[in-house]
Amino acid sequence: MSSRRTSSPRIECRRTGCRILKMILAAAIHVAVSRTSLLAEVTFSKEIAPIVFANCTACHRPGEGAPFSLQTYADVKKRGELIGEVIASRQMPPWKAAAGDISFQNERRLSADQIHLFAQWIEAGMPEGDPAHLPPLPQFTAGWSLGEPDLIVTMPASFTVPADGPDIYRNFVVPLGLKTDRWVKAIDFRPRARSVVHHSLFFFESNGLARTLDEEDPQTGFKGGMGAMMRLRGGPPVLAADAAEEEATPSTGPQNGNGLNPLENIGKAKPATFGTLGGWALGARPQPLPEGLAYRLPAGSDLILATHFHPSGKTEEEASTVGIYFANEPITRRFTAIQLPTAFGAFKNIDIPPGKAEYVIEDSFALPVAVQAFGVGAHAHYLGKSMTMTATLPSGETRVLLSIPDWDFAWQEQYRFAEYLSLPQGTVLRSRITYDNSVDNPRNPSDPPVRVRFGEESTNEMGAVTLMVVAANESLMPQLLDGYRNHFRQSLLQTPLFRLFNLKK
Amino acid sequence: MLVRFFFRVICVFLLMSQGTVFSEPPAKRIEITDLAGETQTPLTVADRKASVLFFLLPDCPVSNAYAPEIKRISAEYARQNIASFVIYVDPALDPAGAKKHAADFGYETPLICDTSLQLVEATGVTIAPEVAVMSPQGKRLYRGRIDNLYAGLGKRRPQATQHDLRAALDAILSGKPVAHETTTAIGCFIEKRTPKAIRSK
Repeated sequence: MSSRRTSSPRIECRRTGCRILKMILAAAIHVAVSRTSLLAEVTFSKEIAPIVFANCTACHRPGEGAPFSLQTYADVKKRGELIGEVIASRQMPPWKAAAGDISFQNERRLSADQIHLFAQWIEAGMPEGDPAHLPPLPQFTAGWSLGEPDLIVTMPASFTVPADGPDIYRNFVVPLGLKTDRWVKAIDFRPRARSVVHHSLFFFESNGLARTLDEEDPQTGFKGGMGAMMRLRGGPPVLAADAAEEEATPSTGPQNGNGLNPLENIGKAKPATFGTLGGWALGARPQPLPEGLAYRLPAGSDLILATHFHPSGKTEEEASTVGIYFANEPITRRFTAIQLPTAFGAFKNIDIPPGKAEYVIEDSFALPVAVQAFGVGAHAHYLGKSMTMTATLPSGETRVLLSIPDWDFAWQEQYRFAEYLSLPQGTVLRSRITYDNSVDNPRNPSDPPVRVRFGEESTNEMGAVTLMVVAANESLMPQLLDGYRNHFRQSLLQTPLFRLFNLKK
Repeated sequence: MLVRFFFRVICVFLLMSQGTVFSEPPAKRIEITDLAGETQTPLTVADRKASVLFFLLPDCPVSNAYAPEIKRISAEYARQNIASFVIYVDPALDPAGAKKHAADFGYETPLICDTSLQLVEATGVTIAPEVAVMSPQGKRLYRGRIDNLYAGLGKRRPQATQHDLRAALDAILSGKPVAHETTTAIGCFIEKRTPKAIRSK
């Protein structure tokens, strides 16, 4: 880190008068420079505290998941250089989306100016400034931030997280005891061992399959990862989609779009027995679905918590508590997920050679009807490097809906737009996902790198960007679902296997 | 002004020379009381082949994540006559807090609170977790990371692929030179003793 220097102009002098003049000039410059730097001095109380309080303190306070408190001048000064480094590299705040054309709810993203200001503060020696300028500490809601949940459940048994070793993905089954179908607006999640729980994705399963998997596994819960999801879904996404295709008429009830397989709940006459209910990640606040939308939760469902653990250095016992918020109003509007590429890239013939630093898959889809988008998410495994989704409007204007320049498997955020985004009929959605299978990708699970193909295990790859939408008018929903289903079918027919099959026919 | 400056220089020089001027190994022998009340000389452990100093911060997640590997290394190399020390480098940490942290994470090596950061300064470490390996004569044989588990902050590999500290210790035990005498550690910065804020005033 370079320290601040005041440079004075070089004046060559031979005579005494000139020397005196030089001294006066130098003194004047010195005073001027130090006065400006004094005026421009960045202090904790005035400039830094507002940034920290708004972006860091929610998690960096006692009882929350982040490692140390950032509530006072002393707290922040103690970690000043570390903070400077992790905000400059955008590791913190944990928000992987780059600034795009659309703003998100609860955006935890610092501006370049804020990062620069922090660097200036460090360089100035982290002065406190006048405590009178200090803004008040934000007030955080104690307990459930959305108020008292309608249903509170806790994992029936705790799970032991070992002190070290690789990250753990584990699914836990929590019986809900619901006698009737319910509509879920939001779920809040409270881990017990906050230092090890990184994120949790929520699913329901109403056929008792999850219970069977839990019973087969001697430890609490059962092994996580997409392989387990495949079993719960009753097949790989391809098959589930085929099943969905067979359904001629879309159901009349609202459906959930889950970002995992947009078709498994779409257009089925009989309600799905497995689906998503959203998720929670360290640092995220629970986000209710937009007004009038809800996830359907069938009677008799078990809640499945697909939880990601980071071992912390000491053994921990986790027993998460979940608060569920039900919708009271009758649900009239369906939403769905437009996932590109379809089926997480199952038809993209993903085959990444070892050492390949940039491997690309892409997909595009023209909207058959006008939609309103309310959220976007992305998924890939450890080789995932970057992902983007853009929308090219009929006017020719292209807007970036999501850009994740440095994908990290650990932060699977669902990004909710600040407000509904209207996309007219004919808008072309494009997704692009890149992978890095070189040794320079520190997250590469294989050393040396190996050939990686499509698959649901985390040592395979997949990838998609998923847009959550409602049709501009509920009556247009069948057309939207048909259009997407058709795109799915076309993608399937593009796979080399299918082309070969067609040739033989 | 000048007189005051020279007076300060002389004062600092006198302070620095205290205790080191008359001791045998130049500049490196530091006596410090560990949390069990024992006097330790972690930089110069005469009756061992070498000593390893693990510099830790109790509220740094990267530092804590290394606890199991630190314990394994301490135990395995203790059998080969290499001493290990856990050095807490948070000046604000009191002995009770340090003991609680050590109990939580199961450290059984001698625990030292380097409140004045004299061991930090003597070894040149800047990060927690970072290690220094010292010869019995007080020569620094290795300084840096334990292994390459972290490629950067927030970039943790599935498992470490280069075990730098173990490699250094193995080299020392077999009488070979250490391949990389220094490496870059990833973790939390050790808070400096003289904050720039004081200087800038």
